[in-house]
Amino acid sequence: MALYIILALLNGVVVGTTRAINGQLSTVLGPFKASFWNHIVGFVFLTLMLFVLGGWKSGASGAPLYAYLGGFFGAFYVAMYSYVLPRLGGMKVALLVISGQMISAVLMDYHNQDVPPTAARFLGVVMVLFGMQMTRRARSPEMKAIHDD
Amino acid sequence: MIGRSRDWLLAFTSGILLALMLNYNGLLAKHTMPIFASWAAHGLGAFAAFVLVVSCSRLLGPPSKEAQPPPKAPLWYYLGGVPGAFTVILAAIAVNSSLALSGTIALMLVGQVLFGIVSDHFGLFRTPKRRIVAADFLAALLVLAGSVLIIFGRA
Repeated sequence: MALYIILALLNGVVVGTTRAINGQLSTVLGPFKASFWNHIVGFVFLTLMLFVLGGWKSGASGAPLYAYLGGFFGAFYVAMYSYVLPRLGGMKVALLVISGQMISAVLMDYHNQDVPPTAARFLGVVMVLFGMQMTRRARSPEMKAIHDD
Repeated sequence: MIGRSRDWLLAFTSGILLALMLNYNGLLAKHTMPIFASWAAHGLGAFAAFVLVVSCSRLLGPPSKEAQPPPKAPLWYYLGGVPGAFTVILAAIAVNSSLALSGTIALMLVGQVLFGIVSDHFGLFRTPKRRIVAADFLAALLVLAGSVLIIFGRA
């Protein structure tokens, strides 16, 4: 159990690392090219992994065509956070991305299953909104030394 | 200040896009398996990003002659996609443990925020250094506690 907890926490660290690196690439190439490199490099890596792990036989039979839309959202998602990361810092980006993700999840569940959010979820959304407001308060004058432009 | 608000909104919007991406990738993974779904999403994402790059350069026209050549990025700047792709594999392992999906997502969010704090403090991967203040911890606590309520308060 402890091993899996560390693994899941480590996964968050890996997500943060990816964002930091893509953010740096976007300072040189711009956000869209950064998104392109992220996806093509990940694609090559996963191609190798599929050969190693032998996942090809699972093929995509029966999946509806719109299930493939994820990649298109992903292209914009990576471009957008890469652009803001060097400007806001990793922590604020993490908090704001999580906020957007969590609030959307509540709305999407409501839309997909037609079940209104529970009281606990409603309270959760309110807390996230307050937390987002706090990230605006936390000013960071030290950031100004960073932009060379 | 307006620039800050725009950055803030863009970061939030990217979270919405992430939720949509995970929704469709999850749907695809149900029909196949997580690694295959992520592989397909990366391939189509690369195509979409390529279209964006080309259409942007068309819209903006050729770079002016006076423009300085862009600074060269070190090789590791290009390798962000490797850890990015690796998360799918790590997540697939954790989800199948007793943590289940909810526990895995909650811990991943905590890991992201902890990394953000450490990364800002030390300027990891050459990112800008940023001093973490008390308000940051309060913001992190509120967002994470709220997220935990959202993740586990589903039923």
